[in-house]
Amino acid sequence: MSENFEPNVVAFLCNWCSYAGADLAGTSRIEYPPNLNVIRVMCSGRVNPMFVVNALQQGADGVLVSGCHPGDCHYMEGNFLARRRFALMRELLNFVGVDERRFNMSWVSASEGAKWKDVVTGVVNNLQEAGPFTEFPRKKIDW
Amino acid sequence: MLDLDKLRALAKETISRDDIKYLIGWRQGTYGFRTSPHFVGNLEDAEQLIFSPLCSSNLATYLTLAEKRPVPRGAQPDTRRVAIMVKGCDSRAVVQQLVEQGIKRESVYVIGCPCEGIIDRRKLEEKVPHTLERVEARWENGKIILDLPAGRAAFPRDEIVAGKCLTCRYPNPVIADVTVGEDVEVRGSAGFEDINWLEVKNAQERWAFWRDKVNSCIRCYSCRNVCPMCYCAECILDKLNPAWIQRSVNVSENTAFQLARAFHLAGRCIECGECERVCPVEIPLSHLNRKLVKEVSEQFAFTPGIDPEAKPLLAGYRPNDREAFIL
Repeated sequence: MSENFEPNVVAFLCNWCSYAGADLAGTSRIEYPPNLNVIRVMCSGRVNPMFVVNALQQGADGVLVSGCHPGDCHYMEGNFLARRRFALMRELLNFVGVDERRFNMSWVSASEGAKWKDVVTGVVNNLQEAGPFTEFPRKKIDW
Repeated sequence: MLDLDKLRALAKETISRDDIKYLIGWRQGTYGFRTSPHFVGNLEDAEQLIFSPLCSSNLATYLTLAEKRPVPRGAQPDTRRVAIMVKGCDSRAVVQQLVEQGIKRESVYVIGCPCEGIIDRRKLEEKVPHTLERVEARWENGKIILDLPAGRAAFPRDEIVAGKCLTCRYPNPVIADVTVGEDVEVRGSAGFEDINWLEVKNAQERWAFWRDKVNSCIRCYSCRNVCPMCYCAECILDKLNPAWIQRSVNVSENTAFQLARAFHLAGRCIECGECERVCPVEIPLSHLNRKLVKEVSEQFAFTPGIDPEAKPLLAGYRPNDREAFIL
């Protein structure tokens, strides 16, 4: 895909770790790609796998779900439950032919501003290679 | 081979019991190769019961579909059990419903029917002309015998049974209060040959395959209605607020619908293949389900519908679950 394609990434960040990690990256003035649309959720376990499908339908080129490291979840086990769900959803999406780079998941703690930068840069670079999502976005009807 | 007289005698004995409300079984349909579910409430009805290679429907669906009327003031709730005839795959549906507490063990009475494979009507109709006469069928020495209007015909089992029966690992009921007939030999393998051919293709080819298939979906929701595991009182497909999946019939919404349906069966699908059988546009729905069955067994070493004491897969976790995909 062309160099100047800017992917549209929807990021679901958990309130306690990843959102604070992204915030730390900002306050530390770490530069990272501005392609994210961040949606703050209380826990990565709050993210219904259908959110991912829905985001892709509504024009996202990729989705990132990020939560606390295993064992660090504010709600004890939310991210463990999310991990199982998304392991399966990822395989299912891949099986129907969605590029596996479009769905990403990461653990970023509140102190990992630098890791957050690496994760986002990696995701955005991958999506630049993968190109726009053309499989099943909703048709935009211009009445 | 199954003795129908014995089956009917057992059914009569069962419904004569005080603690049985009614019995769910199969009877000959109105024409051709059809069979229909049969709700036996008295001794006469029991005479029509059959069990044959044509009994394709999974009756476990009816356990959760039964209407729950409010109990009139002062009356006692009806706590009698429902007797149900199950094949191997259907028995797994019963177990999975027990695991999820969709039904209670003390409210069902399971009559197990070991099964050598169910006829796929589409495969059969390629070989035999359509008929309005009622047709009877039975298993005999690895073959399926049909009493057609033109005379008796025998087919090798593997030629006309449904795809799910070729890979079936549980032909004998995994749960049963009483069993009819003798256990049959397990012939299916634990492999996933039926989906491997699709998995080895690249993403574009896979999407081309599925786009073609979901494009023909007419959103009749038969696959959901017939599924023994789809018994939520409130389904996301019916909800308007939030509208998880819009009602328009196009590739985007159809794909989202199929992904949702398949994902909601992750770790729950018992591979009875009913969704595929009832699909009017012949979408290979069981491929999606089988893919998840494969992932569930490889990643979490879990097989749904075997152990009534198990915990639902996605309601639990292990700290060392595989997480190679996480950045």
